[in-house]
Amino acid sequence: MSPDLLIGLIITLVGASTPILLAALGELVAEKSGVLNLGVEGMMLVGAVICFAVTYNTGNPWLGIVAAALASTAVAMIFAVLTLGLSANQVATGLALTIFGTGFSALFGRAYTGKPLALFKSIFPDWLATHPVLKVLFGYSPLVYFSFAMVALVWWFLAKTRGGLILRAVGESDISAHSMGYSVIGVRYGAVAFGGAMAGIAGSCFPLMLTPQWVEGLTAGRGWIALALVVFGAWRPIRLLGGAYLFGLVMTIELYAKAGGGVAHVLPSQFWAALPYLATILVLVLISLRQSSNTSAPACLGKPFLPTN
Amino acid sequence: MQFRLEKRQEPSRFMLYATPVAAVVLTMVLGAIIFSLIGFDGLGAVREIFLTPLINPLKWQDLAVKASPLIIIAVGLSIGYRANVWNIGAEGQYIVGGLAGTGVALATWEMTGWWLLPLMIIAGIAGGMAYAAVPALLRVKFKVNEILTTLMLTYVSVQLLNYLVLGPWINPTGYGQAQTRLFNADQTLPYIIPGTIVQLGTPIALLVALVAWVLMSKSMFGFQIRVVGLAPHAARYGGFSEGKTIWLALLVGGGLAGLAGVLEVAGPFGRMVPSFPTNYGFTAIIVAFLGRLNPLGIVVAGIVLAITFVGGQVAQTTIGLPFPAVGLFQAMMLFLLLAGDILVRYRLRRVVPLAVAEDVA
Amino acid sequence: MSMLSRRNILKIGGAAAALPLLGRGAYAQEPLKVGFVLIGTPDDNGWNHGHDMGRQAMEDALGDKVTSTVVTNVAEGPDSERVFRELAQQGHKLIFGTSFGFGDYMLKVAKEFPDVKFEWATGNATAPNLSTYNAKFHEGRAVLGTIAGMMTETNKLAYIGSIPIPEVRMGINSFAIAARKVNPDVSIKVVYIDSWFDPAKEADATRALIDQGVDIFASHMDGPVSLQIAEERGIIGGFGQGADMSAFAPKAQLTSIIDVWGPHYIEAAQQVLDGTWVESSTWPGLKEGEVVIGPYNEKIPADVVAAAEKVRMGIIDGSLHPFAGPIMDNAGTERVAEGDIIDDGEFWAVDWYAAGVEA
Repeated sequence: MSPDLLIGLIITLVGASTPILLAALGELVAEKSGVLNLGVEGMMLVGAVICFAVTYNTGNPWLGIVAAALASTAVAMIFAVLTLGLSANQVATGLALTIFGTGFSALFGRAYTGKPLALFKSIFPDWLATHPVLKVLFGYSPLVYFSFAMVALVWWFLAKTRGGLILRAVGESDISAHSMGYSVIGVRYGAVAFGGAMAGIAGSCFPLMLTPQWVEGLTAGRGWIALALVVFGAWRPIRLLGGAYLFGLVMTIELYAKAGGGVAHVLPSQFWAALPYLATILVLVLISLRQSSNTSAPACLGKPFLPTN
Repeated sequence: MQFRLEKRQEPSRFMLYATPVAAVVLTMVLGAIIFSLIGFDGLGAVREIFLTPLINPLKWQDLAVKASPLIIIAVGLSIGYRANVWNIGAEGQYIVGGLAGTGVALATWEMTGWWLLPLMIIAGIAGGMAYAAVPALLRVKFKVNEILTTLMLTYVSVQLLNYLVLGPWINPTGYGQAQTRLFNADQTLPYIIPGTIVQLGTPIALLVALVAWVLMSKSMFGFQIRVVGLAPHAARYGGFSEGKTIWLALLVGGGLAGLAGVLEVAGPFGRMVPSFPTNYGFTAIIVAFLGRLNPLGIVVAGIVLAITFVGGQVAQTTIGLPFPAVGLFQAMMLFLLLAGDILVRYRLRRVVPLAVAEDVA
Repeated sequence: MSMLSRRNILKIGGAAAALPLLGRGAYAQEPLKVGFVLIGTPDDNGWNHGHDMGRQAMEDALGDKVTSTVVTNVAEGPDSERVFRELAQQGHKLIFGTSFGFGDYMLKVAKEFPDVKFEWATGNATAPNLSTYNAKFHEGRAVLGTIAGMMTETNKLAYIGSIPIPEVRMGINSFAIAARKVNPDVSIKVVYIDSWFDPAKEADATRALIDQGVDIFASHMDGPVSLQIAEERGIIGGFGQGADMSAFAPKAQLTSIIDVWGPHYIEAAQQVLDGTWVESSTWPGLKEGEVVIGPYNEKIPADVVAAAEKVRMGIIDGSLHPFAGPIMDNAGTERVAEGDIIDDGEFWAVDWYAAGVEA
């Protein structure tokens, strides 16, 4: 593989990995607090369409990202009110949220199909961003650097801060967290809102850096991949980063291998497509064999907490 | 003015059955208002989506076809959900069930005989069970969360389907299109009402629901499942093994999803195609909740969901309502239903002075 | 006997159900109701858009004599059967199904409604009241291949495929044969997306191809996303598929293959109005104007335009066949002998790629 090709592969890989990383980071925080939100795909679609609409109308991608984050947070609040406020079943509510997001984005986006958008390019000066070698560092959309910053931030928050400790306590043992005087429901509201905002920003990656247009169902299932990724990363931000790039690599290397001719045909392409999910199941088994408490699923994941009990 | 929730001594039976009805009615009212406000024919949309399929006898056969797989899968899931076993990968078990039935059909496609269809159905059930056995094993042996494994396996099953219909199972006389052969007459479900499209799958769905209802409400098995779900510790003292219940819940859920899969491929589809996954497995989760995890409630819920699908298409052709609007109606209905759930276990009380409320707590 | 009367009841029921819907315009001469069933939405900038344009052309041409109904996002499978039956019950007398996977269900419903005419796009079986229609897109791809072969600087071309079915494979072959005819040194890399819809993967595939030195590519996907990537990366370009996509890529779209279904829809509707519609299987191409080459980008040199036009005119006047022998496959075996062609019947059985294709 020539250096140029390697640089190209890296740039494509970064693009494919960024949205699933962002969405999965948000879901990780939600799950760490004990909430399983299966509505990631729906929230991403809402983020994608709102981002497109705002960027298209204002010409300002930053506004588009902020609007996407706000819109998806609002959608996540539907989920939060139902599951946290009214202790409805999280699985069913999450699925309903995806149905909602898919329907809403398709209906709202009808006014924007068939319209092109300019890509949200690097903010570095051109001689860096388009330099044949240095572009591997400086050639990305700000969303990419943001995703790295968020990995660090989420890691720091969960591992090093009191807030993170409380959040994890809420996810591991809601009853003891409650008896220590923490607001279980309040913490979870915050976590779900963060998950929504991140899913919205993940959605905005599509019109801004991957596919500068709006069509129905633009995210094509990436939200579900993000859900798998959280598990694959064993609920730890740094592993999640590695996992996102591994998933991204599986999604892109096939395209490079195919275009390179020959090699990829040893196994059917469907095998490659199924590989991330099989790997995730394997990771789950390995985690359980290790029995290490900080890599297993949050104990309260998916269970409602009723403060009046 | 403030309200607070107060736990009921016992779940309200009235609310249990009143809230789904209220959710549907409220969806119709709110939907009509919201869609009128954003510039559509809101009243027309509600009429076409919710009423036309019920009023027009021509649509009843469509409801039967659409509701049957939903009912079969949801009944299986509800048994697991009652035992707190969260199989959300029924879609995958449905696909593998359909594939297992297809495998038998392709292996016997030159044969005739009454035994072909029963053999396919057995294969379909076995396929669904086998696919659900993986998460069951992982949960019992390794304590791996079944919500996650069943979901992962669904993605895998879609790839398996694509591989088979584009590869080894491709129709040799089909101009290279991605689909299998058409099943022969003995491999296809018979129509049970002449002149309609209602096939054997519909009575099977009703039978499944009835048997499940009897089992769950009248038998020791049903009691065991419910006890494990409500109080796992008590169940252990009672001599019920948690592992056994998990196995049972997943095998029943997987087997019924597999049954729905084989009935679908041998019925309305007539051959295996890449578009076989129609989200029945996911929609059935919603049906299970809408039906209150009660087999008879699930029959009604399956029909309600079928009405929105059928009616959604009617609304598209008659008043030009865009297809995505149907999703919004369904989502709204689910949100309202899930919101109403709380009224089953709690009652809404007005809180007057704060101090008194503190005392009560 | 009982079955027969049941059928009749059903039909009367259908007419009754349709009555209130017809209420608005009950003139002496009822307009012909034409139904269109689409797998996606008309604003996909590609396949479905083309069919919807054809529908509008039909309405413009026939005016009051027709009305049309479009049903979008119809999944291939039993859901489509319901839609076809619904349209027939509502009194549509001519119904177009615009995806291959609708076929089984159209055939079923056609049997129930013998007085309704059905037309199945890209289909491969007919019935007394069901015709098939298709377009020879591969003829257009020979024109694209000529342009690509002459303009490439890296001698690396590519083709982004959806799913490996014969129609896609023959599009690749037509493109490759034409390109190698004008430039024997080119290779054609093929990447399949394994889906009809995944814009992000399509974009990544385009990036992967460009990274490997590809400077011109053709696509069998429905949307403009790969052209947008080509525009961004500044390569020589690509080709619009199904519709003119220059709004998305003014520099990178060299030209486009445009599906023009209008004339077919007008003709079929007119035949139903006249009572002259018969079971048929039509497969027109450049000559009949159903496949059209869009405007050439101004950056294409004049001699390339001339060569492309020569191929186009040759196919139109019959002096040139896109699959005229000798044709070698990419393993070095001669598949079509000198003086022979792949005719329309043999077309569907081709399971090999022409020389130069790397798939």
